[in-house]
Amino acid sequence: MRHNHKIRISDPTLRDGSHAIGHQLSAKQIAAYCQAADQAGVSIVEVGHGNGLGASSLQLGESKTTDSVMLGTAKKNLRSAKLGIHVIPGFATIERDLKPALDLGVDVVRVAVHCSEADLCERHISFCRNQGAEVWGCFMMSHMISPVMLLEQARKIESYGAEGVVFMDSSGHYLPDDVRQRVEMCRDELSIAVGFHGHNNMGLAIANSIAAADAGATLLDGCARGFGAGAGNTQLEVLIAVLERVGYSTGVDLYKILDAADLAEHVLMKEIPVIRSVSVVSGLSGVFSGFLKPVARIAKEFDVDPRDVFFELGRRKIVAGQEDIILEVAKDLATRAAKGAI
Amino acid sequence: MKSKCQKRTHQDCLRILDGREQELEPLRQSNLVMVGGTGFVGTWIAEMVAVLNDEFQFGIKLSLISRSTKEFAGRCAHLSSRSDIQLVESDVRHLSQFPMDADWVIHAAANPDVRTHASNPLDTASVIVEGTMSVLRTAERLGRLKKLLYLSSGLVCGAQSESANGIAEDAQGAPLPEASFIYPNAKRFAESICSAARAQSRLPVLAARPFSFIGPYQSLDTPWAQTTFLADALRGNAIRVLGDGHVVRSYLYGSDAAYWFLKILTTGESGDVVNVGSPVGVTLQELAKTVAKNFDPTPDVILNTAPRSVGRVSRLVPDIEHAQKQYGLSVFTPLDEAVKLTVQWHQLSNH
Repeated sequence: MRHNHKIRISDPTLRDGSHAIGHQLSAKQIAAYCQAADQAGVSIVEVGHGNGLGASSLQLGESKTTDSVMLGTAKKNLRSAKLGIHVIPGFATIERDLKPALDLGVDVVRVAVHCSEADLCERHISFCRNQGAEVWGCFMMSHMISPVMLLEQARKIESYGAEGVVFMDSSGHYLPDDVRQRVEMCRDELSIAVGFHGHNNMGLAIANSIAAADAGATLLDGCARGFGAGAGNTQLEVLIAVLERVGYSTGVDLYKILDAADLAEHVLMKEIPVIRSVSVVSGLSGVFSGFLKPVARIAKEFDVDPRDVFFELGRRKIVAGQEDIILEVAKDLATRAAKGAI
Repeated sequence: MKSKCQKRTHQDCLRILDGREQELEPLRQSNLVMVGGTGFVGTWIAEMVAVLNDEFQFGIKLSLISRSTKEFAGRCAHLSSRSDIQLVESDVRHLSQFPMDADWVIHAAANPDVRTHASNPLDTASVIVEGTMSVLRTAERLGRLKKLLYLSSGLVCGAQSESANGIAEDAQGAPLPEASFIYPNAKRFAESICSAARAQSRLPVLAARPFSFIGPYQSLDTPWAQTTFLADALRGNAIRVLGDGHVVRSYLYGSDAAYWFLKILTTGESGDVVNVGSPVGVTLQELAKTVAKNFDPTPDVILNTAPRSVGRVSRLVPDIEHAQKQYGLSVFTPLDEAVKLTVQWHQLSNH
């Protein structure tokens, strides 16, 4: 039986979408979209800086609105939807960030780490669990390790007390079979739920999400109009429509989520995400979508092809936080070009 | 003067021993060494020894060997300050010697926290395997050792067959040889090491396989179902059950378990293997409801907090026929009572 389970929808429009506008969401925008998503029946609305709680900084970009105002505003405007946050240990600390967030009424905490570093989220997951919050572990750049290694990391998440694990396709690199294989493995081997967060670099975010659902994922992420950096995320209203067409129940009202997407387009976005050439390369090379802007800037500075930069970054398996390597790669390519090597 | 919590645990032991203390007569005027002695089992053994000495004048001397004796002394001053209980700080892998007049040894040293198994599997294996080698070599030097009881794990036979009501000691099967199963695999290997020591050095070794326990002294910080449900309810929150609540486990109360271990130690034959646990399976949904009804207002029990797509029913319940027939053991504290006593102890403890 293919479509025998309900899909829970988590909507990070107001979190991952922040990347696309330099984290400049206002309280008014948050209130408007929260109301719309809530009325549509979305299960979880994720809110915050693009890199999550406590991430507002000079290096990552400063939020226009503080975490407490964003979360307080969202909470006031969500009646049935749960308020979710994205937490990367290191950016978000337990005392300074997590405790106040839970006090503000956050219901769902998603602790995100690089796919091979599950150990880093033990304290955050344990803390949230002990506070009675729903807590998930999320693996960023989950394509970078083998399915078997991913399962080993997921077992850690399970042992720490998380209620589920989410595979994030941070660079939009997966093909549907890749997703299916990983989700099925975890579905069979773990006692916790599995979720999937797609990016659309190669136009496969919807197909990958459906593959995840077919393989047993019970939580799917989607952003209105795909609002997110670069090629954007799984487009939420399309995802709802396709899930409905395929036969999954989501509890989301199609017309209302279409309305919410229209509202998001007008209220939140400067431009709708499109799959630009460099996004395709980012997806193919398996490099974090958030590198698009720095790669474009640095490639221009060194007069090298940003696509070459991406493929070299992919070859070196560079991850978020290693932005300095972009400079090194661009410089190296420029030097080699000057010598006539490429 | 005993606190209310101490009175509770004292009464728990007394209730179990009432009319059964003579079953433990071999312990009278003897020296017992407990390695890994400050965890849940070790603390309950210490409680039981204290009651045997105070109420029945057994005159047992107990040595608790652990790498966290200071933490134990802070948590259980009523036990650590007793003249008949000696605390010895040592890593099980680096034991120098046991008291030379030791008659009995219980080896329980291992970290049962699944988070440690996941994050630090090599150290988990090291403590169990190297620790067991160390205990056995140290025990070889004892001149009057009567018995050494190794506390293995109910997980050593791998997953319970769907057709079986309970896992018997001779169940076929083993955990998969993967990092995530390092704990049961190391426990299984340590059982083999015990067999080897028996064969090679004629050490009188037997093994007990503990299943799930419940009771005072179990840290609410551990991510097990029973501790999580208790923690949720004690914090005034709804009790959250992962999945549909159909997972089946069974729970033996702390003082019951302590009596079982002492009975097996003193009357078991070298080479025996005995399951230690309750044969009464309970779904996690039932367990959550049992916990909930001990609170006013009664907390909600929320199922499927993060629904899964496939309902693979996991069951882990021991078959205790051997313990019943050979040792006359049974569950003395039914689950309802065990949960009630545990809740009350934590409430008193918090006050």
